[in-house]
Amino acid sequence: MTAARATLVAGALLAAACVERLSAPGQCPAFCPSGQITVVDTLLAANIARDSAFRGYVDPPGDSLMLAADLGFVDSRPIFRFRGVGPRLPIRTNDTTTGAVLGADSARLKLFVTRRDTAAHNLTLRLYRLPRSIDTATSFAGLAGPFADSLVRTVNLDTLLARPSKKDSVTGDSAVVDTVNHRVVVWLKLDTAAARYVAADTGQVAYGLRVSADSLASIALGKGGIGPELQWYLKVDSLGTPVKRAPTVTAGFASFVFDPPPPALDSTLAVGGVPAARSILRVSLPRVIRDSAHIIRATLLLVPAVAARGAPADSFQVEAHTVLADFGAKSPLAIDVTRADTARIRIGATDSVAIEVTNLLQAWAVDTTRPTTIVLRAQPEGGSFAEIRFYSSRTPAYRPALRVTFLPRFPFGAP
Amino acid sequence: MTGPARGRARGAGGTAWRALVLVAVAAARLGAQDSQYGVRGLGTPGRWESVRARSTGGAFGPFDPASPLMEASLADVGSLAAGAMVGAAYRSVDLAGTTSALRATRFPLFTLAGRVLSRLAVAAGFTTYLDKSWDVTLRDSLLLRGVQQRYTDEITSDGSVADLRFAAASRLSRRLAIGGAVHLLTGSTRMTAERRFDDSTFQAFQQAATVRYDGMGISGSVLVGLAPGLSVAAWGRSDRRLRAVVADTTVAETDLPRMAGGGVQLLPSRKARLAAAVAWRSWSRAGPGAFDTWSWSAGGEFGGGASALRFGVRGGQVPFGPGTSPPTEFAVAAGVGRALSHGRALIDLGVERLARTGGGLRERVWSVLVGVAVRP
Repeated sequence: MTAARATLVAGALLAAACVERLSAPGQCPAFCPSGQITVVDTLLAANIARDSAFRGYVDPPGDSLMLAADLGFVDSRPIFRFRGVGPRLPIRTNDTTTGAVLGADSARLKLFVTRRDTAAHNLTLRLYRLPRSIDTATSFAGLAGPFADSLVRTVNLDTLLARPSKKDSVTGDSAVVDTVNHRVVVWLKLDTAAARYVAADTGQVAYGLRVSADSLASIALGKGGIGPELQWYLKVDSLGTPVKRAPTVTAGFASFVFDPPPPALDSTLAVGGVPAARSILRVSLPRVIRDSAHIIRATLLLVPAVAARGAPADSFQVEAHTVLADFGAKSPLAIDVTRADTARIRIGATDSVAIEVTNLLQAWAVDTTRPTTIVLRAQPEGGSFAEIRFYSSRTPAYRPALRVTFLPRFPFGAP
Repeated sequence: MTGPARGRARGAGGTAWRALVLVAVAAARLGAQDSQYGVRGLGTPGRWESVRARSTGGAFGPFDPASPLMEASLADVGSLAAGAMVGAAYRSVDLAGTTSALRATRFPLFTLAGRVLSRLAVAAGFTTYLDKSWDVTLRDSLLLRGVQQRYTDEITSDGSVADLRFAAASRLSRRLAIGGAVHLLTGSTRMTAERRFDDSTFQAFQQAATVRYDGMGISGSVLVGLAPGLSVAAWGRSDRRLRAVVADTTVAETDLPRMAGGGVQLLPSRKARLAAAVAWRSWSRAGPGAFDTWSWSAGGEFGGGASALRFGVRGGQVPFGPGTSPPTEFAVAAGVGRALSHGRALIDLGVERLARTGGGLRERVWSVLVGVAVRP
């Protein structure tokens, strides 16, 4: 072989080898690096302290839902007031000429049921006329009278949903199941007696709702963009001739009243309920973990002092957040999926609750100036009356604990 | 040498020195021939031999001025000469019934040598002292939170420790030449450690660090012509500690070996050269799992003028391995050399088949070597 050919062959082999392939299976300890990855799993049983609960984060008027429930331990009733249509309305849609409202033929009430328990049978809605003076100060007891004697409609939702096309041709009620958003949209036909147009009130009307079922009844109604709507069928005077107009009004006020009030906070860590409660836990993270280790899993272990009560559909998520600054009850939460973890709370279960808080501890390790505080809250907050209470550090046998699995720094450079 | 000629030589030398410094900076990431035996120890020691010496099994290493093993052989260097080497290794590793095919390309050698006085020649260059490039994957499980969790570990190291050599040699008489060198050990490795659990509840772990290494050593050698066509050589070297630094913190200081060796070269005719060499290295100073090693080699070079044919064998021990005795190695090599441009350029090609055995592991390596030397 000439030198030129040999050079060519060698060059080709070198070019082929230019892509390195060094990965080989190891057989430890004989053919592995002397430094190994080690895992430490430890239970920090006494590193959570200064923990307490606070209530009042979401109250009924500020809630994004209206809760209707008949759960035995609480009776909750949505109340809402529709805006008025005014004393006069345009006679035609493309004309600014108005005429006085003479009265109402009927109306259709639209409700969005955002959560219901499909296992609760004979779910029945009862609609009551309420005084239009209801507001955020209205109490459950203050509406005892209207809820006793002002029933205007009763509809069995299960029966309505079971009908062909989900329509009741007799009453005019109908329903649509939104499978995408998991809502039920209900239209209730109100006759003249149920939908009274009072000229002095410019059409303002208020209603209340009660719910019942064969078992525990608990539903949520939408507010705001998916709040109650009332479509009036009105008669408007057009130079002595009544013409029909059908304006739609939304609820200017929507809330709910309930009884009895939630039990007072005690030494336990309450999460959920209405008004919503949160619990704050301060964690003392050892420096060896916080500064020098890589946390691969961290679990917050909580022991329920009282099982969460409610309907099965009231199961909720408990979110563990870290905070931007520790101001106690007013600590601003770090609303960031990378700094929050969740666990599902089942109604009636008394098993220990484990919340994976790996993201939180990793965030603390990345930025050691952050307060090592965990806030527990329900999600959706104020979404149901279900509330869970965990033992706090004041009950040493069942106090909250952290289980942390971490890897100490790899011994790079060890011979 | 005339004044302008000296000036040109100085100019060429200055350029060459600058080139050496630039190349030496990159040398920290260059390596030689890897081995799984080096994963647990300090690394895989480099071979301080040119392609010519490697093609003879290393037997000509003590007598080859292009090989940074011995300095005394530099005494006969004429004009300025520069040499470099590139090698590709195809490695088959048999471990516990599993065979892995690995490959790597390395640039393990660069030398620059020239005469500065009538009796004094100097050289500088780098070679690989320890190759520390490897990638180990491990599949295992551990009991975690009461459940057997399976995981995959991958620990990698990419880099090497280079030996920057500054050498001088002098021929004291027709039969005697001596030399000495200072060795600066420098380099770094980029290391990563990663663990991935099958259960994604446990997040993946990955850390990386750059480990810097430094150390120094001295060496000396003597070359004696016993008779026409018969020479013997002896050399010794002592290196101090190798310091490993991570993020400005010294994480390890490891004693490096003392070494000694010698060789004999016989020139029975103008077209035949035979040589043999032996070396001892006290690697056991490096700590547990390290052994003192002996190595030997024998080879020949045939041909004259513009081309040469070479062959050789070598054997010995590997300094790092499991168990109580060092793994062994044996290699056969062959190669050709060709002079171009009236001897101003030399191209050497070599191929080596190496087998290492010990501790339940077998390595088989094909190495393809290309060396280039230029005499401007």
